Amino acid sequence: MDNLHLATPEIFMLFASCAVLVVDLFLKPGQRHMTYWLTQGSLLITLLLTYGQVGDTAGTAFSGAYTVDGMSAVLKSWILLIAIGGFVYTRDYIKDREIANGEYYVLGLFGVMGMMIMTSSNNLLTIYLGLELLALSLYAMVALYRSNADASEAAMKYFVLGALASGMLLYGMSMVYGSTGSLDLATISQALTTSDAGSTGARFGLTFIIVGLAFKLGAVPFHMWVPDVYDGAPTSVTLYISTAPKIAAFAMIIRLLVDGLEVLSSDWTLMFAILAALSLVVGNLLAIAQQNIKRMLAYSTISHVGFLLLGMVAANPEGYSASMFYAITYAFTTLAAFGVLLVLSRNGEEAVMLDDLSGLFRRNALAATVMMVALISLAGVPPLVGFYAKLSVLKAVISAGYVWLAVIAVIMSVVGAFYYLRAIKMMFFDDPVDSSEVPARMDVNATLAVNGLAVVVLGIFPGWIMAVCVRAFAG
Amino acid sequence: MSFQLFIFYVFAIIMVFAAARVITVRNPVYAAMFLVLTFFTAAAIWMLLEAEFLAVTLVLVYVGAVMVLFLFVVMMLDINVEPLREGFVKYLPVGILVGSIMFLEMVFLLTQRYFPSENFPAPAAKPANYSNTEELGRLLYSDYLFHFEVAALILMVAIVAAIALTMRRRSDTKYQRPGLQVQVKKEDRLRVVSMDTESKS
Amino acid sequence: MKFIYTLIPLCPLFAAIAAGLFGKRLGRVMSHRVTIGGVAMSFLLSLIAFQQVVLSGNTFNESIYTWMVSGGIRFEVGFLVDRLTVLMMLVVTFVSLMVHIYTIGYMHDDDGYQRFFSYISLFTFSMLMLVMSNNFMQLFFGWEAVGTVSYLLIGFWYKRDTAIFANMKAFLVNRVGDFGFILGIAAVVMYTGSLDYEEVFVKAQPLIGQTMSIMGGFEWSVLTVICICLFIGAMGKSAQMPLHVWLPDSMEGPTPISALIHAATMVTAGIFMVARMSPLFELSETALSFILVIGALTAFLMGLIGIVQHDIKRVVAYSTLSQLGYMTVALGASAYSAAIFHLMTHAFFKALLFLAAGSVIIALHHEQDMRKMGGLRKYLPITYWTSLIGSLALIGFPGLSGFFSKDLIIEAVHESTLPGATLAYWAVLAGVFVTAFYSFRMFFLVFHGKSRMDEHTEEHCHEPPNVVTWPLIALAVPSVIIGFMTMGPIVFGQYFEGVIFVDDSHNVIERVREHTTGAMSMLSHVPGSKAFYLAMAGVFFAWFFYLVKPEWPAKIQSKLGFLHRILDKKYGFDEFNQTVFAAGSVGIGAGLWRFGDQGVIDGAVVNGSAQGIGKLAGLARLSQSGYLFHYAFAMIIGLLVMMSIFLFI
Repeated sequence: MDNLHLATPEIFMLFASCAVLVVDLFLKPGQRHMTYWLTQGSLLITLLLTYGQVGDTAGTAFSGAYTVDGMSAVLKSWILLIAIGGFVYTRDYIKDREIANGEYYVLGLFGVMGMMIMTSSNNLLTIYLGLELLALSLYAMVALYRSNADASEAAMKYFVLGALASGMLLYGMSMVYGSTGSLDLATISQALTTSDAGSTGARFGLTFIIVGLAFKLGAVPFHMWVPDVYDGAPTSVTLYISTAPKIAAFAMIIRLLVDGLEVLSSDWTLMFAILAALSLVVGNLLAIAQQNIKRMLAYSTISHVGFLLLGMVAANPEGYSASMFYAITYAFTTLAAFGVLLVLSRNGEEAVMLDDLSGLFRRNALAATVMMVALISLAGVPPLVGFYAKLSVLKAVISAGYVWLAVIAVIMSVVGAFYYLRAIKMMFFDDPVDSSEVPARMDVNATLAVNGLAVVVLGIFPGWIMAVCVRAFAG
Repeated sequence: MSFQLFIFYVFAIIMVFAAARVITVRNPVYAAMFLVLTFFTAAAIWMLLEAEFLAVTLVLVYVGAVMVLFLFVVMMLDINVEPLREGFVKYLPVGILVGSIMFLEMVFLLTQRYFPSENFPAPAAKPANYSNTEELGRLLYSDYLFHFEVAALILMVAIVAAIALTMRRRSDTKYQRPGLQVQVKKEDRLRVVSMDTESKS
Repeated sequence: MKFIYTLIPLCPLFAAIAAGLFGKRLGRVMSHRVTIGGVAMSFLLSLIAFQQVVLSGNTFNESIYTWMVSGGIRFEVGFLVDRLTVLMMLVVTFVSLMVHIYTIGYMHDDDGYQRFFSYISLFTFSMLMLVMSNNFMQLFFGWEAVGTVSYLLIGFWYKRDTAIFANMKAFLVNRVGDFGFILGIAAVVMYTGSLDYEEVFVKAQPLIGQTMSIMGGFEWSVLTVICICLFIGAMGKSAQMPLHVWLPDSMEGPTPISALIHAATMVTAGIFMVARMSPLFELSETALSFILVIGALTAFLMGLIGIVQHDIKRVVAYSTLSQLGYMTVALGASAYSAAIFHLMTHAFFKALLFLAAGSVIIALHHEQDMRKMGGLRKYLPITYWTSLIGSLALIGFPGLSGFFSKDLIIEAVHESTLPGATLAYWAVLAGVFVTAFYSFRMFFLVFHGKSRMDEHTEEHCHEPPNVVTWPLIALAVPSVIIGFMTMGPIVFGQYFEGVIFVDDSHNVIERVREHTTGAMSMLSHVPGSKAFYLAMAGVFFAWFFYLVKPEWPAKIQSKLGFLHRILDKKYGFDEFNQTVFAAGSVGIGAGLWRFGDQGVIDGAVVNGSAQGIGKLAGLARLSQSGYLFHYAFAMIIGLLVMMSIFLFI
């Protein structure tokens, strides 16, 4: 058991999650906040442990199944940070709906664990197991709101389609394994480079793997679950699904396709180009037709996945780092948007329709401002962070020679700006339907403010994250 | 054709037939039984590949446990399958079309041209005293320890999720607490009230 | 030093954020303390910068932060701190500091107290970013930022319709200028491929003689186009004819900002920019001639309007326009150092005059009409004396700061040989008389003669509090001495060596130096100076008309009615703009709207595409049926398509 210390964050996280699970058993209903604080504490300590690895730490553990490298530590830190922020926003929402049992937190922790494993995986099996750990937690979290029929339906759909996608992914992996004789990504890469023997089998498997990945990301045409699940799930779970897992999915793409199958990049860039173009078009067009804000954000997610894939189309370190930047910034921008929705969903009322946003500025100025910043950033207006993310992705894709994709992306961003601006207009200029004030806890306000500020500040100083992203793929 | 190959084809044909019947028979109990047959023949084929442990596990776990559970559920719930089959005919042509295209593509790919068997030489036969189980065990607790642990974690998530989703603690349920019942004292139940005597009127 | 230079603009920014966002929580006193502290800090740090750059000779030119690199062009935040920058920094932070302090008194009873402090601090930040920039992008950022804050400040009393009209006007007119400015920057990027000043200046040399065709067969010198475009930006910001119309109206804003923005800082941004770009402008004599003529016209014609104004602030505003014209003339004559020198002296005495006017306005409870003033000398002694100093400095009374800078400009123009220089010379010379006349007309009307106030106002009329008078005194001191003290080094010494470039063929300062060597020799030339006698004549006529024979002006007015009307209508610029540009553009707009917008764009393009997209979206929405097996089926089809594509392509 060499290099076990590399996995300290995961090992700590495992023990901490189990501890939360057990401690929760002995808590009376009134002491549920203990579970919350324990959860946040475990995430925070894990974050510190992970952050300690950012920089030079690199190596593999568990016979090569687990790896720490420049990318993994950074992405895991962001995943944890976003999870912490997510739980801050979530706390009151789930308490109101009586789903704030220990299970919610524990499943959330296990999901984060799954994401961390995906990010640090170094072999096909690890990726798959990490993915399943995350997926299973997500299915359960969606279904946890048992008193709500929509949530149950969403969970059902998510589960069945997710199982189908997992099956395809697994099938693809088995083909790759069959063609190269190894589960280890580095060995696979080497086998494909040195001999041509397994390449057809690997390419065949690649198709299925891409389908699996596209489903997890929600790229068109494997996106059908996204709007239904985003809409049906409790908003807190939607927040969870739409933020950190995108970063993990990005890591999974890098692991599988860059670490393992980069030899086949001429094949997968074409597939990604198609998926990206479709996602951009369908996502943005359908978002316009939505009256339900959660569905709108779902389609917006689909369009952003298109952007994320654009960076991958470039198939060079510049593109990967642009995509990485995109994934990270998208995750925390969406976090802010859903955070505001959670603030609005009070007293048993759900803020789901666009109308619920109208006049928000007069009801809660901070929330409205943060929402505005988040939406403008998602629309890609300078100087917010979303602009820089889009720009760097477009730059990568143009320098790789896919000008037509860049043109589609730009046109669709303009279309997309429409629905974001519509929401902003409603918040600031329309009269509120319900003019009561929307109070929020101090810690929620503080987190919202920091979150909104991050979107602005990192837009003005994108170099802070971009440098890290570039370093992750340098050399 | 060696005897082994003959056996393989027998089991393979049965398996494909059974698998097809699983989705074509009308009665769900029959379908479940065909699924058992599919698993069973699959186990037999694994046996031919010298994967004894996996073959036995497949029979034990899937046939012995999972399918029995399945049958219980199917029989107890008495599912009316007719509505589920609505539209079956309507979508059948499309389904057949898509299925056959995919089948053809896979055939096209997996033929000799792209998958020459010389690229995939058969592994050398193991000595007679080679223990499949022991090897699996060794790998599982050394090279694949991480995966083993994560798989365990996944099972735990499944348990947590299953319990959280199905256990209902209804607020209006009344149940006895023997411990408290035993500890009851006289004072809890009996109240002696002193009253003034009443005069006869 | 990098840290200190970064801190200089950031101090006011943080103060602005603090006062703007947490103003309510901080309260009035804390808000003004924070902002004044921020600006004071900037001022002190600017002094350190002065020590570094001027005394130790360490010019700083580094980029602080690279925002992004696109197509080989770097978008950066960077500082170029040389002698020119340091001078501007000192002027900006000092005047801003005085104005901050003065505001405590002026805005005392206003509801938007914290908001006002936040704005002026934000303005200081923007202005510092503008002057400290080492590249065109940041310059443009500062340019737009000061424009935006000035828009907010002019419309500070947003409930007044006139204020809203004025800020809208300022905004639109500045847009015209900015349009030229951004075209100029675009041309710079196109021909030099860089935004960095240094690189641009180096790469501009080979552009001499290069031409571009804008329309048809006309060939334009590239440098002339670039310079004129940039100067159009300066015309907007520095209010040169015909883009001057916004400045008088912007007097609707509170007086402190008139002093800060419309006298000392923002309006001088254009002058500063041209001086900063001297290596470019020197390469195009056509552009210099253009600047010379525009400046001369502004200097003379705007001064004339000042004679007929009744609003005390508007007189000062027109005087500012005219003085900006002087600076522009100096730029056109390649006497950049004289322009900057006048900019500096003007910043002090004009800020002083504005603040003095503000002081009068406070004393009279926001009465701005000079016809309702008079005889204020005895009520407002400090304001009286400081105004006198300011006015004397403005008209160029020998020894005071304005004398040196203005006479120098006149001399420089006299020496210039560019086309239009003769016209410019007579215009600025005549301008001296006009300046003296309107300045002392205002001075006599306000402080001397009989009181025309109503009784109530007169009873309550007294000197405003110390926070108002101290800045007046603090500004009066440099108004007196700064010219005498700094003229030698700035103009005749080596101060701008290596910062401002002047081509030898039109180095007018060099020629002035042949007969004048410094402040003392300038004073010795007074007895033979036309300008001095003209100024004295102006004062005399003002005294005669407004104190000795106060009934004469009205008579002259009725005799020369048409002249008066021309001036009163400000040469009809506003009417022309209103009827031709505003009404015309409204008319054209309406036409375009009806036929173009409603018909083609709305009907076909926008609504059409919106409807098209809507329909498309509606159709696509059908695919989201909600049925699980549809979804699964879609996935299978997707898989199939993917497989086919990659297997068969």
